[in-house]
Amino acid sequence: MSWSDTAVIEKLGEYLNLAAFRQTLIASNMANVDTPGYRTRDIDFQGEMSRAEDELGLEAMQPRVFEVSGLIERPDGNNVSLDRETLLLARTELQFRLAVDILRKKFQEISSAIKEGNS
Amino acid sequence: MNLLGVLEISGSALTAERQRAEVVASNLANAETTHTAKGGPYQRQLVIFSAQPVSHAKFASVLSDVGDEYARGVVVKSVVPDPTPAIRRFEPGHPDADREGYVAYPDINPIEEMVNLMGSARSYQLNVAAVQATKDMISQSLEILA
Repeated sequence: MSWSDTAVIEKLGEYLNLAAFRQTLIASNMANVDTPGYRTRDIDFQGEMSRAEDELGLEAMQPRVFEVSGLIERPDGNNVSLDRETLLLARTELQFRLAVDILRKKFQEISSAIKEGNS
Repeated sequence: MNLLGVLEISGSALTAERQRAEVVASNLANAETTHTAKGGPYQRQLVIFSAQPVSHAKFASVLSDVGDEYARGVVVKSVVPDPTPAIRRFEPGHPDADREGYVAYPDINPIEEMVNLMGSARSYQLNVAAVQATKDMISQSLEILA
């Protein structure tokens, strides 16, 4: 299957949206690192991307947010893990950068085609 | 929620952690205070944090969309006094001494307060890191235009 440029750009847009959404959750988890009873929440990134494939796209659908299980809980009921959140923060930032770079490349290609190769 | 809104989440945590540090600092400063406006010794204060949906009073509200209900900032719900009774020390010459010669001092453990202060400083740093990451993401997305 060959993908048209617009389809790739669309997909990258969804990827960026999902990364930004995850960033929201990570920021919420980090903000509530000292809130008693707060539970870590996250999304399944890969799962949501393939779900967006079948459905109408991220704009139309709401990513499924769940409480992360298997984390060590403190006596006050909070289970935010600093290392997990910092790692995810770095990872999401890199994912975002990756998608932005590919997107820029794509736009450059199109612009190069418009200008008949004279960039 | 967009990336500008994420800054508000982390910003709420910065405010809350700073308030916590202020309360801890005032506990430390008043560890030996035997006289207050209300009468009696200073009472140790504790902050209560609570998760709360971010209010979009600002610019981001115009642009808010998917995922708003999952955005949770943090606020200081209340500052409550520690009910632990005061420590009584025998100092008959003290102006605040009672009839038996005992002075009531607040029950403040400086080590406990310092640990609390360090925790607050670390959480502040953590959220500054989150702000930095979000800021980088926003400026990267502007690079698409370049």
